Amino acid sequence: MTTFVDQVREMGLKQAAIAKADEAVERITAGMNISDVRGALRGDEPRRPNPRLRPHADGFWLHIRPSFYHTEITHIYPTFRLGWLSTFMFVWETITGIILMIFYTPSPFIAYNNMWNILANVPLGQLMRNMHRLGAEVMVLAVALHMLRTFITGSYKKPRQFTWATGMILLVLTLLLSFSGYLLPWDQLAYWALTVFLSGAEAAPAPAVVNENVLLILQGAPSLGAGGLLRWYLFHVLLMPLLLAVFFFVHYYKVVLHGFSLPPGREEIGEDTAKRVPRNERTYFIPDILTSELMWSALATLFLVAGALWFWDAPLEHHADPIVTPLHVVAPWYLSWSQGWLKLADKTIVVGFIPLLMIAFIVMPYFEVGKSRRYADRRVGLSVAFLFMAVMLVSNWMGSPEFRVASSAEQEVSQEILPQEGPSILLGVPYEYMSLGTYLPGEEIENNPHLTEALEEFQAAMFRHSCYLVGNPRLPREWDECTVQTLASGDKRYGNFFKDSVMPDPYAELQIEQMQPNLLRLTLHYEVTNPENPDELLVNTDWVSYRHADSNYEEECRFANKNC
Amino acid sequence: MQVKVVIGTITFMLTMMIMGFAALREPARLEKFSHAFEGRSIESGARIYAGNCATCHGVSGKGEECYDTGGNQIGCRGLPLNYAPLLCGDNSDRTARMNAMNWASTKDAFIESVVAAGRAGTAMPVWSAQFGGPMREDEIKNTVAFILNWESDDLCSEPVVTFDWPATAQGLVDEFPDGDAANGEALFVSYGCSGCHGVPDGSIPAAVGPDLSNIAVDGATRVDGYSAAMYVYESILDPNAFIAEECPTGPCLGPPSAMLANFGERMAENPQDMADILAYLLGE
Repeated sequence: MTTFVDQVREMGLKQAAIAKADEAVERITAGMNISDVRGALRGDEPRRPNPRLRPHADGFWLHIRPSFYHTEITHIYPTFRLGWLSTFMFVWETITGIILMIFYTPSPFIAYNNMWNILANVPLGQLMRNMHRLGAEVMVLAVALHMLRTFITGSYKKPRQFTWATGMILLVLTLLLSFSGYLLPWDQLAYWALTVFLSGAEAAPAPAVVNENVLLILQGAPSLGAGGLLRWYLFHVLLMPLLLAVFFFVHYYKVVLHGFSLPPGREEIGEDTAKRVPRNERTYFIPDILTSELMWSALATLFLVAGALWFWDAPLEHHADPIVTPLHVVAPWYLSWSQGWLKLADKTIVVGFIPLLMIAFIVMPYFEVGKSRRYADRRVGLSVAFLFMAVMLVSNWMGSPEFRVASSAEQEVSQEILPQEGPSILLGVPYEYMSLGTYLPGEEIENNPHLTEALEEFQAAMFRHSCYLVGNPRLPREWDECTVQTLASGDKRYGNFFKDSVMPDPYAELQIEQMQPNLLRLTLHYEVTNPENPDELLVNTDWVSYRHADSNYEEECRFANKNC
Repeated sequence: MQVKVVIGTITFMLTMMIMGFAALREPARLEKFSHAFEGRSIESGARIYAGNCATCHGVSGKGEECYDTGGNQIGCRGLPLNYAPLLCGDNSDRTARMNAMNWASTKDAFIESVVAAGRAGTAMPVWSAQFGGPMREDEIKNTVAFILNWESDDLCSEPVVTFDWPATAQGLVDEFPDGDAANGEALFVSYGCSGCHGVPDGSIPAAVGPDLSNIAVDGATRVDGYSAAMYVYESILDPNAFIAEECPTGPCLGPPSAMLANFGERMAENPQDMADILAYLLGE
């Protein structure tokens, strides 16, 4: 064993340093020296024995990755890179999540303030939060599409049933991981989404004593509070990621063990040749797959950074308030189908059905034993799959705000242009354009495009919730003709093309008043006279909101996902 | 593969440039969001104020325009908050009210502590959940932010109107001989007296302050040598001079009296109001 000093004496300083660097690189890459790395980057043929296989054999990071893929599956089809993207998103969420963890305390007293601290005091804090939240949505989407792809190409079939089963578990864990993060900001959105979820858990078809104790475990106390927040935080940052990592490695190990399944048309029916890749159809991990993965990582990062910076903003509503139920509580989009189902059947039935469906999915490949993976041979299976997708889409649609329980017509209008939570077109009017005064819906304000636009939106919202009977001289507008229904109680109900309960010949105005220096009071005032009895006002209400000069709703309105 | 290397490299560089752009605009953005947090806190405070505080402190915080749930105007029980002696400080931001209450800490903390812990002997309840009230910490803070937002150059530069009140009730009567009892009845509500003392004709019972329905007679018995007029006159100007014994909730607290000591200042602009209220209370 020669020392470095000996080497310098023998070869001179320069040669010795190069040799040492070569040795270091070989150790770090677990088997490739500088010229091997260079050759790989240049796309040269490897020397024999192939040093590019040694990182797989001797290195930790690559030992789980196969050293070559079948060239057939290195194209976009059949994998669409969705499994890889799911994994990338998990890493992405872990990194952004750890950064956010630094600035977060799971306590109802401070969590919400932490959110504002991240937004207002942490450099790049808003970007980090947006990237984490956007990443969560992309991850759910990627995992769901990955599952869909696996079904369509028949890759769940023997011998990959167990891979499919772990994949299903990973899908559920992804949903739970995403949903458990929902509570952490401790705003109204978080609190009420989780409250709805927990009320579902409580309605499970099990003995009351079981449900009560499950609920107690999930929220740490008889009601959702400090204990619940801490638990969901720990689910989110510890339990779920840990479980996900465990199932991920099992899943991926099985993927490598059986080989990536080839496109269905490539093989004879009943054959599975993925494990034996002929020499001339091999694409080596180093350098081709690795380069490709690095490129996709760069593209995904660009997409997420740009998306979070310009197009997509994580919502932050008012502080969680157990006494104030917001007007419309909607589930996150990826659980919207369950909200749709709740409109079809009793809660207990729905909550009982969902786990059964999961189990059915998990065991499906053990029962669906048709040998052929070819599309033409799987007409029934694919039809059932598309039918299921159609049902899910319709369910999602049924769970969407379109079909929520409507409140009174004037509240619906107010909620559209001056919602209780989040920005709106009216709140997004720059403060200097908020001229004091009283305005009618659809009124045009000279030299004030912003307010004019908001009043147009007011008019449009009124249109959806008003109808024309004889006209209102105070607000002459051409609404839809009223359809009149007489209820069992003898009262009349007035409808239009869109809804069956709207305001007949309504009057509405927007008042903008100065409340304090830099603080405006915005009042939406509605009056509806009973067409049966001109002395009676059916509606005479005010909807009040406030707008401070510095509140910066116009900044929030920049993002595409905001209701402005 | 070369194409992929190129695409990957360019994409990576683009991402770094975007990050750099984000980092450059970050100081301005942070500043905006800090203000946005304060602005939204004030908005939330405004909502809380309208729902919980305006019944006693008035819609615009002036200790006027108080309404019950039916929309009828009632006497304001609370101190005016949109009020220079509470909000406008001297050079070290010490306000008249802080000095009067011997408050050692800051103005924000003063208002926060009163909102949070209430004021014994008055109608001001405990609001903070920490002390058994209904509001969370953040709601208290939002409310305080809203109250402090009334401070403005206009409010603090308003000239203080003073009036040299005569030493005796007789002196006042000499100066303002025509007390209008009917107007006094309206003023008794708009100044907020009825908020604590009820309406002397018994239509609204006294809630916090002593019942005044028989004050024209009782007033003469409280302080030796004082007529009823002199007693009432002095009590309005200086509630601490003599504290009545019987309040609706038990023995009256004090000194200091729960009654606000600022009516002399508030009536200074229009001393005739004092004559009208005296005429109303004493039935002259």
